[in-house]
Amino acid sequence: MIYLLEDTINGILMGSIYGLTALGLTVIFGVLKVINFAHGSLLMVGMYVTYWTVALSGVHPYLSLVVVVPVMFLFGYYLQDIVIKPIFKAEKEVREPITVIIVTTGVWYILDNLTLLIFGPQYRNLPDNPLKGKMLALGDMLISVPKLWGFVTTLMTAALLYWFLQTTRLGRAIRATSLDRQASSLMGISPYKVYNVAFGIGTATAGIAAVTLIPFYNVFPTVGVLFDIKGFIIVVLGGLGSIGGALLGGIIIGLIESVGPQFMAATWTEAIVYGLFLIFLFVKPAGLFGVKYDW
Amino acid sequence: MTHQTINKTACILAAIIALGLPLVIRSATYLHILVLLYFYAYLTTSWNLVGGFAGVLPLGHAAFVGIGAYASTVLFLQYGISPWIGMIVGGILATIVGILIGLPTFKMRGAYFALATIAFAEGIRVMIENIDRLGPFVLNGPRGLQIPPLNLGLGNFLFAGKEPYYYIILFMLAAVLMLTYSISRSKLGYYLNAGGEEPEAAMALGVNVARAKLIAMAISSFLTALAGTFYAQFTLYIHPKSVVSLDLSFEIAFIALIGGRGSIAGPVLGALLLRPVSDFSRIYFGDTLPGLHLVIFGVVLILVMIYQPRGLQEPLTRLYDQLVDRLLRRKAGEVQA
Repeated sequence: MIYLLEDTINGILMGSIYGLTALGLTVIFGVLKVINFAHGSLLMVGMYVTYWTVALSGVHPYLSLVVVVPVMFLFGYYLQDIVIKPIFKAEKEVREPITVIIVTTGVWYILDNLTLLIFGPQYRNLPDNPLKGKMLALGDMLISVPKLWGFVTTLMTAALLYWFLQTTRLGRAIRATSLDRQASSLMGISPYKVYNVAFGIGTATAGIAAVTLIPFYNVFPTVGVLFDIKGFIIVVLGGLGSIGGALLGGIIIGLIESVGPQFMAATWTEAIVYGLFLIFLFVKPAGLFGVKYDW
Repeated sequence: MTHQTINKTACILAAIIALGLPLVIRSATYLHILVLLYFYAYLTTSWNLVGGFAGVLPLGHAAFVGIGAYASTVLFLQYGISPWIGMIVGGILATIVGILIGLPTFKMRGAYFALATIAFAEGIRVMIENIDRLGPFVLNGPRGLQIPPLNLGLGNFLFAGKEPYYYIILFMLAAVLMLTYSISRSKLGYYLNAGGEEPEAAMALGVNVARAKLIAMAISSFLTALAGTFYAQFTLYIHPKSVVSLDLSFEIAFIALIGGRGSIAGPVLGALLLRPVSDFSRIYFGDTLPGLHLVIFGVVLILVMIYQPRGLQEPLTRLYDQLVDRLLRRKAGEVQA
């Protein structure tokens, strides 16, 4: 029983971090109506940026946010501006931009394999960071401290993002574009600029997720793929475009992965996750919190 | 001489060259590369029936390759059933799975369909990796299955040299190309085309778009599974990471997209242009620059999508047409003189 509770708590903590990795995906989809297949690779880039910032300067991993967030924002901003915008301009009237999906897949392959070329296939981690392997004893239960930090960071990031989208001028412009691209551009909002900013924000949240992962996770060129597919599943579960949905979807996945092994071989939990995803896709493609969208 | 006769002559010439190549190329390595090139051209052409003609983006075709490979291999290893029969069994199994995927997903659009196919393929991979025995069938989980090269012969789909494999895959490629050609000229082809470009308009005209897509999916998954059996018999070793991998699914889609989806020549052209890039970069830079060919794929893919969204076949077809026109004009000039 105590193990079940422990697994549940750790599952929620890890799940919230999954939710954080998917947050950017949902923001980008909300505005651009495009699933960014390169999102896992952006997370991977964020992890490398974090890794080298911490490894070279020796600061606390969470201090690297000061570097990682702006770097990742600019990376996403210009990635959208240079690579993805031309497609949008060419396919102005197309409602389902398959071509954009294809291009983001191309970005995924370039980023992953470029990283492989530059840094090699070896796994890297930060062996002596202050959070590594720390456990918090709660009665008989052991709670992972780095995951607890990740949980708190996730809540703060989601709250900040929500506040930004609801109250700031730029946030309102983003929401307006997300609701109706044409009408908002008639109001004087440049949709392409909003796309750039939204992509930048999505990438920056991937950077934040990278910082929360670094204290306890290995970095390697294909690490993004693991989170990429999990991210798709999470956002579909929660409802594409919904911030709360991404967090809840993440927690569901985290719980399955951490409580599931009590009842079956751990590798089977992955199959369960895929099965659940497919059921959702067929029965309720809008997800838990998604708006009913014309799909 | 007309444009059409020139086209026909070019086709016949290409066929003669393809048939004669093994007589000239004696190196097993190069033959191996050629066989894989045709194998990929076959896969991308099969993919094109759904990804090109039906206008959706399937990203899980490796699942069908895996089903074909596993079905025939399990039947062959455990029951001694000829892989030729196993090939058909695998094809039928893949057709059923393809219809099961298509039935609910064709109602969805763009991104959701792509995601559903990925999830299906990954789900199948995870299942194979976790299952050592499925009822009476031994799948061997992540370790995969090995086919011992005993009892060589046509009946067992096992040969000592690479030449027989070369001719089998060449024949399969030619057959699938002819099938694609006839589908593109059939009612089904027109339905698919209409449904891919303007689904609402097509439905308003009474075209059952979802049914047409489903038929295309069934044909495509059947054909793809046949290639899986071929791959198993050619390499003699299959495991989940090789035949059901996400990378294979993506590579199939990439090659077809770069070559030009929705056209007949596009996917073959894509394989012709890209397979050598990946083979030779693996041979020459595999140790020093791993993953180089995938970076090249990605860059080419993005450039093609931005500048030639219909794929590389478009400028190349135009070039070919211009050449033929010039040839015809020169002939006409000679006649007048």
